[in-house]
Amino acid sequence: MLSIWCLDWPIVAARAQEPSLEGVPVAVLVRSRILAASTEARNVGVISGLRRREAEARCPGIEIREADPSSEARAFEVVARCIETLTPRIEIERPGILSFPTRGPSRYFGGDESLVAAVLAALKTAGVEEARVGIADGVFAARLAARSSIVVPRNATPEFLAPWSVVHLGEPNLSGVLMRLGIRTLGDFGALPVGSVVARFGAQGLEAHRLSIGEERYPPALSTPPADLVESCVIDPPSNRVDEAAFIGKTLADRLLERLAALGLACTRVVIACETEHGESLERCWRHEGALTPATLATRVRWQLDGWLTESGGLSGGLTLLRLIPDEVIPAGGSQLGFWGGDQAGADRASRVFARVQGMLGPDSVVTAVEQGGRTPIERVRWVTWGEPRLVDFRGEGGKHRGTGMRGAGASGGHINAESWPGAVPGPAPARVFDPPYSAQLLDSKSRPVLVNARGDVSSTPAILKSAALPGQGGEVSAWAGPWAQDVRWWDPLGERRVLWHVVVGDVACLVRVEHGRATLDAIYD
Amino acid sequence: MRTYVRYPREVESLRDLSITPISESPLPPKRDALRLSQVVEVARGSGSLLSSKDRSIEVSGPLRALVPRLQRGIVAVVDGEPGHGSTTLALQFGAAVSALGEWISILDPEGSLSGLALLEAGIVAERCAVVRRVPTDRWALVVASLLDGVSLVIADAPPRLRAADARRLIARARERAALLVITGPWPAEASLRMRAEGGEWVGLGDGSGSLERRDVRARLETRRGIEHAEISSIAHAG
Repeated sequence: MLSIWCLDWPIVAARAQEPSLEGVPVAVLVRSRILAASTEARNVGVISGLRRREAEARCPGIEIREADPSSEARAFEVVARCIETLTPRIEIERPGILSFPTRGPSRYFGGDESLVAAVLAALKTAGVEEARVGIADGVFAARLAARSSIVVPRNATPEFLAPWSVVHLGEPNLSGVLMRLGIRTLGDFGALPVGSVVARFGAQGLEAHRLSIGEERYPPALSTPPADLVESCVIDPPSNRVDEAAFIGKTLADRLLERLAALGLACTRVVIACETEHGESLERCWRHEGALTPATLATRVRWQLDGWLTESGGLSGGLTLLRLIPDEVIPAGGSQLGFWGGDQAGADRASRVFARVQGMLGPDSVVTAVEQGGRTPIERVRWVTWGEPRLVDFRGEGGKHRGTGMRGAGASGGHINAESWPGAVPGPAPARVFDPPYSAQLLDSKSRPVLVNARGDVSSTPAILKSAALPGQGGEVSAWAGPWAQDVRWWDPLGERRVLWHVVVGDVACLVRVEHGRATLDAIYD
Repeated sequence: MRTYVRYPREVESLRDLSITPISESPLPPKRDALRLSQVVEVARGSGSLLSSKDRSIEVSGPLRALVPRLQRGIVAVVDGEPGHGSTTLALQFGAAVSALGEWISILDPEGSLSGLALLEAGIVAERCAVVRRVPTDRWALVVASLLDGVSLVIADAPPRLRAADARRLIARARERAALLVITGPWPAEASLRMRAEGGEWVGLGDGSGSLERRDVRARLETRRGIEHAEISSIAHAG
């Protein structure tokens, strides 16, 4: 197998979307941790896993963006299309990593080295600056080989893998135990007898053992999927919109995996195919470590459709047919339903209804709240479209909300530390937040607007608050606190300085913001 | 051969016995009294008995002062002036049902509901979908579909809702045994009407302190009459 690893793909995708980021230190965040950083930022010590503040401290002027897997997938479609000119059998693992079998192509190009050269040349034409290519037996070994741009000769894969650390197996629980047992490298782990590994670590251990001795994760005798397992849907009228098509893709994914599950099968590789009104037909293969779940499959379908429909040089017309073909299936390992509060029937009923409402009003109209860090009540919650993973996770283990419905099942985004947000508004959350805010007037006892200077000094104390959103158009202030001054992006000349006040008028408490000398009503404690 | 225990006096009820101090009886039947007091202890700790047909919801949290049990399949209306606590009260209904592990949905046509308040009320976000941007002409349709799938729907009613639509929704809620909590005007009858009447905020002074909490005065109107209570507006789960 040959594996291509495009370095820092999130950064490349972010720059493709915003050309102004070229040459500027950039980092991409997932859950306020750095996922990837550009070379400029890395040179001054911004590494992945840092908190946002630390990154900003180490590299002032760094541009930080939220990770956007769908735009990464869209940008990666260009790369996939150009590698497709060399070989038809490519498999995308996730945006940035792609692999294909080499036997045919390397014979055609005259050896592994010349194949690598051809791939690198093709990547250059696609505009990918930094990419590494590795060849080895098996996808796992090829991916490790790509890290150091190595072509491992045939049958030398076990020796190549031996010095790598067990951490690279990608199973933190297993590798943690192995490290404590003193088994630090894949070579040590591979040297253990298979029987003992299975006895101690079960099926998961067996898979890891197979990887560490240079074999595929699953034995080669994979069952061939029965022909009638293909799920397809005719789209009439033809659709040009990604969300519409993705919605159909989601139902197809649910149906396909349900039928596979009825046969006791799980899918590890799926081909997404489509046809357009102009007779074009495209297909692309996606692979997943482990088995695809409905949520992960639906996400991949969405990414792929996004790539086809929005990227230039993709499809010329609307989609008329969408098809999902299971390409590689394995016996399903089975999954245990949640023990605590796992009312599966209720969950299914609810998700069906939410899907119906999404069909009526558009997918973005049904959302769920995810807590995140921030200073104002609006900033502290992110609304995620129902059905998308609650956490941005590149391995695609998201979508935890579907199953058990357990409270705090790791899906609530972990603990959010309030201390890391100085100037955050204390106290309970207001029940109504207004975006955009209502206009308001915060006046002192002499009817002059209350202002705050650059040092945070207050011109006078608030006495009257007027706003159309308040009962009786507002009135005299009975209690107040503040100001909480927040410098947002202080290093940026366009950054704003805003000041928040708690103001109580009669029985109504509200949150008032003063910015550029103008007051607005941001929230009401209703 | 069986041994008989002779009780010193007539035992009328469990409660009666548990009050009687063991030492008062001249010959205490030690083991049995101990067992009986344990039984009483267990009975006191557990909730009230529930027959399998009775599917009403036992309300936990601050709302309990006013509504100890909620019948399924009814419509409750919560209203009040902006800022007087009606949203908080409505979210408390959601928290009560969400705490049972059931699914709920909130209809927020204006998109002004704060997600943080939802989480602070104790609603489990994984089991709560918020529907936003609902056009007024499809409002009733969306509420009807949601009632099919979840145990409770909290919905902001549009200003000019037709009485016929409202009555259809009442029938749908009863049929599906789902609770419908309406905030805003409701042009039909409701089993339970609650009005938030505001309350004084605690913790905030003239330029000092910060908002801590308030007790919302709430007026409950049911078929049986009118009740008043003060409900603490900040209620973290548990």
